[in-house]
Amino acid sequence: MDTRHRVTLLFVFVLTFMVLTGGSYAIPAFSRQYGTSCSTCHVDFPKLNDFGKAFKDAGFKFPKDDETFIKVPPVMLGAPAQKELWPHTIFPGTIPGMPQIGLRFNQFFQYTSGNANNYYQVPLGTSPGAALSPTIPRTDFEAGFFSIFMAGNFGSDIAFWVDDDLSVSGLNANGALGDGYLRFVNLGRFFKLPTDAFTVRVGQFELDLPFTQARSINISPYDIYTEANIGSSSQNVNNQFSMQDAAQGIEFSGGHQYGGYHYSLAIVNQNTSGGATSPATNVSSPAGFFSDSNYKDIYARVSYRFNLEKDPASRHDIQAAGATGPRDHTYLSLGSFYYEGRSVQRFSSETASVLTAREPFYRVGGDFSFNYRAFNLFGLYMYGHDQDQVLNPTLSGFVPGSAAKFNGGFLEADYLALPWLMAIMRYDRVQSSGDFLNEAGSSNYYSPVGSTRDRVTPGVQFLIHANIKASFEYQFRPQQALTYDQNGKPLNPFRTNTATGALEFVY
Amino acid sequence: MKSTLMMVMAVVAMMSLTASAGTISGKVSGVAGESVVYVEAPAGKTFPAPTQQPVIDQKGLMFQPHIVVVQQGTTVQFLNSDKVAHNVFWISVGGNKKLGHNLGTWPQGEKRPFKFDNPGAVPLLCNVHPEMSGYVVVSPTPYFTQTDKSGEYKIENIPDGSYTVTAWHEGAKNQSKPVTVAGDSKADFTLSK
Repeated sequence: MDTRHRVTLLFVFVLTFMVLTGGSYAIPAFSRQYGTSCSTCHVDFPKLNDFGKAFKDAGFKFPKDDETFIKVPPVMLGAPAQKELWPHTIFPGTIPGMPQIGLRFNQFFQYTSGNANNYYQVPLGTSPGAALSPTIPRTDFEAGFFSIFMAGNFGSDIAFWVDDDLSVSGLNANGALGDGYLRFVNLGRFFKLPTDAFTVRVGQFELDLPFTQARSINISPYDIYTEANIGSSSQNVNNQFSMQDAAQGIEFSGGHQYGGYHYSLAIVNQNTSGGATSPATNVSSPAGFFSDSNYKDIYARVSYRFNLEKDPASRHDIQAAGATGPRDHTYLSLGSFYYEGRSVQRFSSETASVLTAREPFYRVGGDFSFNYRAFNLFGLYMYGHDQDQVLNPTLSGFVPGSAAKFNGGFLEADYLALPWLMAIMRYDRVQSSGDFLNEAGSSNYYSPVGSTRDRVTPGVQFLIHANIKASFEYQFRPQQALTYDQNGKPLNPFRTNTATGALEFVY
Repeated sequence: MKSTLMMVMAVVAMMSLTASAGTISGKVSGVAGESVVYVEAPAGKTFPAPTQQPVIDQKGLMFQPHIVVVQQGTTVQFLNSDKVAHNVFWISVGGNKKLGHNLGTWPQGEKRPFKFDNPGAVPLLCNVHPEMSGYVVVSPTPYFTQTDKSGEYKIENIPDGSYTVTAWHEGAKNQSKPVTVAGDSKADFTLSK
């Protein structure tokens, strides 16, 4: 791989890195609407505290007596008494009394370790005087995202959310829709189910992941969430789906995030060719349609959170009653998740113009979270499996081949040392023989020397104000190599670590 | 006959007291909104604590009322009317950080009392809603008042004598002035942040 290719890969990496980490939002519009600080719902935004989780569960409302807290009265779209006339009138609702708009901007500074010089070697055979690609900068300032996001409630327990990146890396109109959905909260009340036992969300949304990627406090994404399953060259597995992709579909959910059970079941468009809104790269989708096929994928998640306070009243309340004020519960949460889909692969053959294989795949995993006061330890393990379909000897169909598999996860400890100071220690691990075989052949910028790719990422974040944050993280990356001996053993392995700082504000 | 004599003496005493009581009035300027003006205690003089217990409510993510003036020794009841958890604490009384206190948290509809035995302004805070702000201003004497929005005030029934009068306003520096009360007295203040 020549230097130009490597530099291109680096910038693709940096851009991807920023795109993947671009979805962290807090909602200043709620601060305006309720006249309250970001910290009412967040610890180190956008990480939610227990009250923030309850606020979200309730459909972006205060869980009880919401109207008594709103400082800007909503606009009535019909008098409440109109309800009595339904179905002979439009069912009355409300819109927020002020535009529920929040804006966010962030910027980054990245330092890449000196080992990046391994990529600066002039390729053998380069003619004297030939133009060479630019080198990878050791230090780099990057404009990040300028994003708009809107969220609120239309009355009748119908919540909404839309967020979009107006600008990425200083390039206008280079962003994309993040989440955009309507959420019909507590529909179970029509069936006399317990409160919040049944809620429906429709639109584009991040899957109900155990730990959100779109609204993570971390600068870099969780590696396991970004892992696509690309089989080795001997396999016909090229599944670009990753868990952090936005999904389009419908989700049924219930329970609470701040205690007790929680479940969700989503039926979403299948998209194994990249981002949810990206036209297919390996499938010719009709213009305007981004789903790979008519098959719908299924995602399910179940979790239970045990609040551990001795006092029952405190244990079952949204927040625990501490001696010096309400606080997040001490809790242990356990959960699992499962995603099942079909990965579309298309081939030309001699007997048919195009053969389409729909390779079954699934992702399954478990997670836990333990919280004690200001300390939160959480982790996730995931296993990915893609059934390979290989052309049969007559090239007229497919027969099962060896599956492409990967596994990994992360473990993270967050400690809120002070209300404005968060210390983070994180370990990411992905094990994929396919990745190694592919990377070893291509000498990618972050190619690992083995099937296991792991990193340790300490970080620290400072809230300058409740809406302004300075973040820093250092990635101790795995060893990598550019050349290998005849047995495939890496030669002269090295690490290319990165330090990244970020400044962001929302308003 | 004996009781009649005592009543006459009491009436005479009250009349003489009334005759020797004056007022302090004036204006607090330099700041916008309501201020508090109170009379400092003369050396060696103490006053019995009142039995009334004013209530400060936490409602709609606000301390209501925003400012309460009480006499030293008064017990204030802190009520939570919100259906969210609250907390009440203060980091100082009259700037003395040793007098900081945390009342903890309690359910909706319940009150928690606290007796303010030290004079000075008490900035009330809630540790889950940092935007919430309220004040208890503890006057060392029963002679205090809140100004109207234009800053005008009047404190009545102050026994004649020499006093120090203090004006307080949220976010401003206190200002104290000596005032001699003999009938109607005047004391204007100009506060600054």
